[in-house]
Parts: sequence; C-alpha cells; structure tokens
Amino acid sequence: MSRMTETAMTKPGAAAPAAKKSVAARRRSRGNALDSTLGRSALQILAVVGFFLLWEVAVDIGWANAFLVGQPSGILGVLVSSIADGSLFVDAGYTVFEALLGFAFGTVIGSLIGLSLWYSVFVARLTEPFIAAINSVPKIALAPIIILWFGTGLTSKVALAVSLTAIVALITAYQAAKDADKDLQALLFSMGADKHRIFKKVIVPSTLPAIIATFRINIGFALVGAVVGEFISSQHGLGHLIYTASSLYDLNSVWAGLFVLMLVGFVFYHLVELTERWLLPWKQEQHSTQINV
Amino acid sequence: MAPKVQLRLNGIRKSFPGKSEPVKVLDGLTFDIHEKDFVSIIGPSGCGKTTVFNVIAGLAEPDEGMLLYRGQEVENLRGRVGYMMQKDLLFPWLTVLDNVLLGLDAKGVSPAEARDTAREYISTFGLSGFENAYPKMLSGGMRQRAALIRTLVLDPDILLLDEPFSALDYQTRLYLEAVLLEAVETFNKTVILVTHDIDEAVALSKRVVVLSHRPTTVKSVHDIDLSERSPIAARSDPRFSGYFHTLCAELDIQTRATA
Repeated sequence: MSRMTETAMTKPGAAAPAAKKSVAARRRSRGNALDSTLGRSALQILAVVGFFLLWEVAVDIGWANAFLVGQPSGILGVLVSSIADGSLFVDAGYTVFEALLGFAFGTVIGSLIGLSLWYSVFVARLTEPFIAAINSVPKIALAPIIILWFGTGLTSKVALAVSLTAIVALITAYQAAKDADKDLQALLFSMGADKHRIFKKVIVPSTLPAIIATFRINIGFALVGAVVGEFISSQHGLGHLIYTASSLYDLNSVWAGLFVLMLVGFVFYHLVELTERWLLPWKQEQHSTQINV
Repeated sequence: MAPKVQLRLNGIRKSFPGKSEPVKVLDGLTFDIHEKDFVSIIGPSGCGKTTVFNVIAGLAEPDEGMLLYRGQEVENLRGRVGYMMQKDLLFPWLTVLDNVLLGLDAKGVSPAEARDTAREYISTFGLSGFENAYPKMLSGGMRQRAALIRTLVLDPDILLLDEPFSALDYQTRLYLEAVLLEAVETFNKTVILVTHDIDEAVALSKRVVVLSHRPTTVKSVHDIDLSERSPIAARSDPRFSGYFHTLCAELDIQTRATA
C-alpha cells in the first residue's frame, strides 16, 4: 500500500525521481562495490593465488632456497601422489578421528563438571584453587607422561586432546552457570520450582552459548593435542607426516601436511558455526547490528 | 461489612548485612490485603518495596514477623503468587508460547491442556501469530504483555507487580494499565502493585499503602474512591488530583531544586 502511494507521488514531477536517484546512488557509493559475497571471494582467491605464485617464482629465480622453504609445485606433487596412493586420507583420518574424540570427550566431561559445580557452592569453592592450578599447567608438558601411561596409539592422543579441552570447557561452563540471570531464577523459584528445575530451565540454556563458544577454541586445542601426541610417538597421522618429513628435510611434505591440517581446522570451524546456528536459533540476528560509521 | 482479609503482613522485620553493621530495611511492617484488593505500595527510593515482595514470594526470609494467609500462618506464598517485574523476564531462548507454558508444566497440568490454555490466553491478549516468535523480535510493550499472560495463566492467588510498566512509554503504559485492570476484573485477582508513579497508583488502586523512609514502616493507608477505574477515566475524575496531592504531601516530595 505505502509503496503504491510512493510511486504515485513521484510520478508527476520529473525532478523528484532524479533527486531520489542521486540519493540512492550516494547511498550505494558509500558501500564498497567489492564488498559482496562474490567480490570478497574473488579478492580472497586472488590473494591466495598471488601468494603461491610469488613463492613459486621466488624459488625459480633463486630469491629463496627450495631446500629450506619448499616450493608450491613440489607441494602439489606431494599432495597428488599421497592422494593417489591414499596415504594422505589415512593420515588425515587418524588425526581427525583423534581430535574429534578428544574434543567430544573433553568438552562433554568439562562442561558436565563445570555445570555440576553450580549445584554446590561449597564444592565449587573447595575445588576452585585446584582448578586454577590445573589450568595454569601448560598441558602440552604432560604429553610425555600421557604417552607413558596410555601408550603410543590412539588413546594417548585422545587423552592429550582431552586434557587440553576439558579444562577450558569446565571453567567456561562454571563461570557461565554462575553468571546466569538471577532474576530468571528468582521468577522460577517464586513459581515454586525446585533447584533441579531451575538448573534445567535456566542454568543449562543460559550456559549453552558460552559452551558453544568454547567449541571454537577447543576444536583448535583438540587438533593441537592430536598433532603434538603424534610428534612424540606415532605411526600415522598428519603430525607424524610433518615430523618425519621435517627430519628428512622434505619441506614440501611438511607444507603438504600443514596445509591439510589448516583445511581440517577450517572445516571444523565452519561445522561449529553450523552447530551454533542449529542449537541457538534464538540468538540469530535478524539484521546486522554493526553500526555504519 | 468489613472486607475479608486475604493476606496480612504482621510486624515484618528484615535487615541486610551492611559494611559495618546490619542495615535495617523493614522495621515491623504491618498491613492487610483484602480479597480481590488492588493495593499500591508507594514510598521513597530504597525503602524496601521490593524486599516486601521478596518476603511474600519466598525469595527472602524475614528476620521477624509473620504472614497470615486467610487467617493461617504461612512461611511464604511461593508457588501461589504471580511475580512481574520492570524487566519482562521472558526467557530469551524460549518462544512466546513456551514462555507462557513455563509455569504451567510445573503445576502438573497435562501438556496438551496447558498448550490449549496458553493459546487461549495468548489470543485473548492479542498476541496471536506471535506464539513462535522469540522475545527478541517483540516490542517492549508486547514483551510485557507476554509476561502478563505468563503471570495470569498460572491463576495465582495474588499478583505481585513490581513496577511492571515503568520502562515503557506513556501510551503503551496507559494501554497496558487498561489491559491489566480488565484482566484483574475478569479473573477476580488480588493485586499488589509497587510503583514509583503516584499517578498510576491513584488511577489503578482501591487502596494505597505509603511507606516511610528506611527503616521502613507503614506511614499511612489511603482508600481511593473514584467513580471509574480505567486509566484515562480515573485520571479525569475530579477527586483524582485531591488524592494525588495528598499522596505527594505524604511522600514529602520536593519539586524545587533549592529547599
């Protein structure tokens, strides 16, 4: 209805539409023409291609030493041959499996402990210094012991990833549970709800965004745990590939392993984003909240 | 015939731990709420109006004194009151419908029945079509209406309204006051309203309880007798300004910058 009157009103005067157009044009020119999904993707691809091209040429004309930095064409060769003989999928599969298991166990165990601390202020206060102490140890330093305890196979990598991720999930979940809106809890309490119901209806849903936020951090930590475990002792995995290749000065294979790791991390990150959208429909923005300065 | 007392607060005392010594907030508060009453509580800032509500709802325990509900001593009215605050307190992760259902499934009503009741209330209060919307998508007035529905659907014995409309603009506020009055009339509810707004207190209430400065006692109780109790009509009643001025004087409000 309003749109109809608008067009009707702009019809009579020829000056009116012209003025409107200039405003629209000004509005458009304020946004960058390249700032669209297509434009951004083009720029990103251009940057990547440019980077590899520069690298390739730099090695070819002797600015950089192929022995020390590798060369994109060589990396591509490694990728193609390891895809052809299937070894890349085996290695990537091991690392992904270790990281995912570590991530899942670590996040679940950590979140559950963190949430359950909400139930008892006494236990929470009692354990607080211990949690802080455990948190302050660089978990990577535990790797040698973990390998001793859990052997050189899958279990030790998962255990390392769990040790890295669980504490992050625990602290975040506990903090978020503590920060849950007191008024919402009071409201439910005045309705006659018991502690368990308040936990279910307020504490769990209000900590969920924080717990999901740790997914992003923890997916990275889980990969760190898996790869470091593989560095120390392993027969398979991307960490194994990188470590053995670097001791043979096979830089191209090292880069191949690193790029695949990067790809794995990238895919994980986006899976987390999808999970977030699926689990937190109420958090989705209706429109951008960024202020246009 | 004297009106029947539904709830009596008797000598309620409550102090909170302060920096050096406990701060006395409620100092022997005594007043009655009648059946189907509409009582407004007004008083200076920080006089413990919200504490009174917390004591009734069971969110705070009084140090001394007791509550008598229909003649019987009770600890509090937890589970029997409908609490509404300035913040709408809608759960952001629940849809309007699920928010309304929040108290119902705690009461042991069957899910199907609860759903029907909730939908009925939602349409009565003009929120049909927003059942599956999240609170974030609603305007402030709509959110507060949803909160009112959630409060009423529980069929509480007493509504505790803690400045429920003070964050809204004046028009929305008048509108929601009318919605509230009509609902209270239809469902035969007893209401205790805490407000800063003398205007609102006079227009809506049957009685107004004035509290003193801290340590708080009841300063006076006023019966409000207006021919019509609707937000706008009440405000145009000739006696309205009389009540208004009396209550302002009671509260010792000073409008001049220099006293």
